[in-house]
Amino acid sequence: MRLRPLTLSCWLLGLLLASVVAGVALGSVSLAPDVVVRVLLGRMTGAAVDPVAERIVWQLRLPRVLMALLTGGGLAIVGVAMQTLVRNPLAEPYILGLSSGASAGASLFYLGFLPPLLSRTLSMPLAAFLGALLALTLVYLVARQNGVLSVTRLLLGGVAISALMASITSFVTFASPSPDKLRAVLFWLMGSFSGARWSLLPLPALATLLGLLGMLALTRPMDLLLLGEEPAAQLGIPVELAKRLLILISALVTGTLVAFSGTIGFVGLIIPHAVRALTGVPHRRVVPLSFLLGAAFLIWADLVARLLLPGTELPVGVVTALCGVPFFLMLLRRSHYRFG
Amino acid sequence: MTCTPAFKKMKPVRLLLLLLLLGLGACQQASGPASGALTVTDDLGRTITLPHVPERVVTLAPSLTEIVFAAGAGPKLVGVTTADDYPPAVDTLPRFGALPVNFEAIVALQPDLVLATDQVNNPRDAATFEALGLPVYFFSYHSLEDVLEAILTTGKLLGTEAAARRTVDSLRARLAKLAAAVDTLRHRPTVLVLISDETLYAFGQGSYVHDLVARAGGKSLTDSLSNPAPVLSDELVLQLQPEVIVVTAGADYDPARLLRHHPSWDLLPAVRNRRICGVEPSLILRPGPRLVAGLEALLHCLHPELARKLSP
Repeated sequence: MRLRPLTLSCWLLGLLLASVVAGVALGSVSLAPDVVVRVLLGRMTGAAVDPVAERIVWQLRLPRVLMALLTGGGLAIVGVAMQTLVRNPLAEPYILGLSSGASAGASLFYLGFLPPLLSRTLSMPLAAFLGALLALTLVYLVARQNGVLSVTRLLLGGVAISALMASITSFVTFASPSPDKLRAVLFWLMGSFSGARWSLLPLPALATLLGLLGMLALTRPMDLLLLGEEPAAQLGIPVELAKRLLILISALVTGTLVAFSGTIGFVGLIIPHAVRALTGVPHRRVVPLSFLLGAAFLIWADLVARLLLPGTELPVGVVTALCGVPFFLMLLRRSHYRFG
Repeated sequence: MTCTPAFKKMKPVRLLLLLLLLGLGACQQASGPASGALTVTDDLGRTITLPHVPERVVTLAPSLTEIVFAAGAGPKLVGVTTADDYPPAVDTLPRFGALPVNFEAIVALQPDLVLATDQVNNPRDAATFEALGLPVYFFSYHSLEDVLEAILTTGKLLGTEAAARRTVDSLRARLAKLAAAVDTLRHRPTVLVLISDETLYAFGQGSYVHDLVARAGGKSLTDSLSNPAPVLSDELVLQLQPEVIVVTAGADYDPARLLRHHPSWDLLPAVRNRRICGVEPSLILRPGPRLVAGLEALLHCLHPELARKLSP
């Protein structure tokens, strides 16, 4: 089913809007719809509202929905970047060890094994970014042979780096001198938006926006990269530069998002495929539409995480893995799957 | 083990004499027909047979160590976990890791009884201990009364019943004094007990903590949550509107931390009335004899004026 790009954009924008509304209206405690509406109107008109409802809707749910939006959109476009970069439909920040690299960096910092460089809010994303960059570079170098990327090496390298980074995280978790932080880290490693608040939003927003703009600027090189590095170079694309930029963007966005929300897998795998099925391969459509669909998807995943166990928080990474792993296996099975 | 070479060097007659002596000694000790054997059923419903009164005991959780000391059998402990820190006498005992259980270290200690609790230990470890020929007794407690019973049971298992009874009687006396004072209260505030302040780990259904809060003159808010160890959401806490928040993060806990991690809580009654307090974690999280001290600390949080009146 191919829709006209404009129609599709409108549909996805509408879906995202509906997701935001649902994300604000529903949660681990139930509020009447009119209370939610009154809180939102009250913010705009300054009218007095029930303070508890105001805290829940405005200070907890809205920043949380926005964090899910940024994270979903960001991880989805990173998925696009990596699938194009390695010319393989199975690439994704979680599978290739990028997320676990970021979480290893972040937990090394969080548990006090790395000194804070600037402020706490800045050094954690920085540590996560460096971890992600290191993981992706290692996987890339391992998979490359005579200028060609081997799919098998790529996946095996990703699995190995994932395991290595996860064990570094486990090690620092067990060796940490502050046991009170361990539970928090374990929870955070499975990904969660439970700590989201307004003051935490600017940095993820900045990183995701930079990533989105960067990738929108790279849509043509990305289209040509899918043909292969040689043909792309012959068509005048600075292949090495484009590849390095894609690696940098992937590490920047994944690192920042992991530092704030933990490791959330499989968004970057599912979403680009769904979008390509709807609109075809051209990146000028795949990139922005993946952002919209990824954002809506993660808002819904977080809603499921919030609603599944009443009154308690389930890590959202559990939900995305439950959807993502079957999808991944299905992609593996479908050997005739065409990409590019 | 070290006496085997000595046996070998002994002349047969002397050896016979020694064995006879040992046998006589054993006969004198065992006055009953079962020669001191004890068959009991633990809290998991397993049947355990102790051939004689245990002399070498290891505990798989700090709470059990405190229970053994409270039961008057502290000198029988030959090993504790690396997490143990109370009473000070444990400092000289050999340590082993309990999460996961270091079976080799425990076997090397040659205990004749292992004490475990389903609060910390995996019930499946019982089968491993059985295969190793080490009797293991599992405790399970859901109220303060269960913990007192555990002290009495430990006394019975280790042959120190009288001492265990004395400890429990004195704990019960403190509890009775407390109960008499709490009964006079008119207002029982709603209480939220948190294990940690950043991620909101709390106590759900079936925890002894709700019993403690009730005895300290409060109403615990999380006793109806079906998950025994729930992670609460910020919005649930906002809706619960606790009047007092207790964090098990030490008596010197800084209440500002809680608001820093959860800025939207500024309008909770507990925050507005500055009713946030820290309690020493080992007094609440360790279901042992010091739970009574934990209960007294809770009373300090919930009803400071009453606590002042009670303390001499």
